Amino acid sequence: MSFDDVAVLGVGMTRFGVYPDLSPLDLAREAGFLALDDAALGFGDVAEAFVGYLFGGPMTGVRAMKEFGLTGLPVTHVENASATGLVCFRDAAWAVASGRSPIAMAIGFDKMTEAAGSTPRAGGGGRDAIDNVILPTAYFSLWAMRRMHERGTKPEHFARIAAKNWNNGALTPKSHRQPDHRITVEEVLAARTLAEPMTAMMTCPVDDGAACAILGSVELARKLNPGRPVVRVKAAVLQSETYTPGHTFLGPVVGPASMTRDTANQAYEQSGIDPRDVDVALCHDAFAVEELQYYELLGFCAEGDAEKLLVDGETEIGGRIPFNTDGGLIARGHPGGPTGLAQIHELTVQLRREAGRRQVEGARTGLAHLVGGGSVCTVCLLQRV
Amino acid sequence: MSATGRERVPIESGYFSVPESDAEAPLLFGSRCKKCQETFFPRREVCASCLHRETTDVSIGPRGTLYTWTYLYVPLFNSQRADDGGYAVGQVDLPEGPRIQAVLRGGPDDFAIGMEMQLELETLRQDDEGRDVVVYRFRPRSEGGSE
Repeated sequence: MSFDDVAVLGVGMTRFGVYPDLSPLDLAREAGFLALDDAALGFGDVAEAFVGYLFGGPMTGVRAMKEFGLTGLPVTHVENASATGLVCFRDAAWAVASGRSPIAMAIGFDKMTEAAGSTPRAGGGGRDAIDNVILPTAYFSLWAMRRMHERGTKPEHFARIAAKNWNNGALTPKSHRQPDHRITVEEVLAARTLAEPMTAMMTCPVDDGAACAILGSVELARKLNPGRPVVRVKAAVLQSETYTPGHTFLGPVVGPASMTRDTANQAYEQSGIDPRDVDVALCHDAFAVEELQYYELLGFCAEGDAEKLLVDGETEIGGRIPFNTDGGLIARGHPGGPTGLAQIHELTVQLRREAGRRQVEGARTGLAHLVGGGSVCTVCLLQRV
Repeated sequence: MSATGRERVPIESGYFSVPESDAEAPLLFGSRCKKCQETFFPRREVCASCLHRETTDVSIGPRGTLYTWTYLYVPLFNSQRADDGGYAVGQVDLPEGPRIQAVLRGGPDDFAIGMEMQLELETLRQDDEGRDVVVYRFRPRSEGGSE
């Protein structure tokens, strides 16, 4: 069986949000059963599981699987910071493609609300206490300031991306942030400044949640849900940092931006898909500046043209390449472990054309992108058969 | 000794020098590949670029060029100063090669990309033995202070 024969059999997720009364395992159970029900499968059918989370300690993944039953299935724990969920997805896809497991589960969960502030920031590996002050907010703001210097980008550009994603969140039932009014560029700019030029509305919330995807063969997908469009995995690529001049080594978020370009190119080559074929894209927009940069690094416009792509409205729903149709990390949320699987959820819904008011017309090919800790990048491509 | 007369110790050893006199600028502890000559900060055993397994210890700085900066409107972690409304951080390119991420001394209006920067030490607190615990930061070179 080839990689091309791997399909998403089912997806499920909790709405991302703040859940003081639910444990990570409660959230995992809800998302897992939603995905199994969507696939028309039971947990006993799952041959292998990849479980992703950032917080919870060793063996939490096995404990989460025991919530569904004790079936003896192999469980692999996955942790790659923000990219964790997509890495679970990649490993599950390869487990199916290799023939090792006919049905694999990729599941992620986290309670960022309990993790945030509970422990001192660990930096990169414990010896970075010297560099504790370089928070992700700072790192991405450094990126934004450099882009403003090189390209004449204005805070309004970042605000426009944030407003778009907030407003997409309003169309997404599973989105954490669902504003009750149209968010404007002015409102985003007027929010509290965290770090020049980034305001609080240009960043993702702190939240909890779980998301899950079940993978198997295209043939099985057709059999389980006759008549439903099949969503196939075309690429699932993971890279870590390649050394580049100007590399920074100290701090929690340190990787080069080029990592996204390299990873995307590998995914395009592996799948034979051209960026022009992609109809909907989800990216790591923990900070609005990222989405602007990724327009270029993912190959959707030439270097230096991202502002034009944005201002022309091409990345809005209805544009040439809608980005973060479910609100992205900024609105839908970013609990950590499940974030990538929420992207898979959105792409699957879009490609099945079940996305309702936020549906991208004629969507056939979708891209999901995440970076993790600045040190890893994943790009996955899905396509409606 | 610093101007306070107290002994100075680094927040973590192995990253930067703490000169006897605070009239003297600190240097960063880096590594240079014995084969391809690429220079890194902080120190590492193996070249990240050509993968050669031997590096030489080098001291780098104290001057560089501001590649980018930002100003954070949150109290500086670890500063233990209640009056700290915010702080600047930046990336400084050293002529030796490495790009250094560090706190910058100054307010939100003090920086411009491309300006010349100078490494200096900042006292964070006193330790149990009454010594000044110091960390490195950069400041604009046009500003006063030790060279």
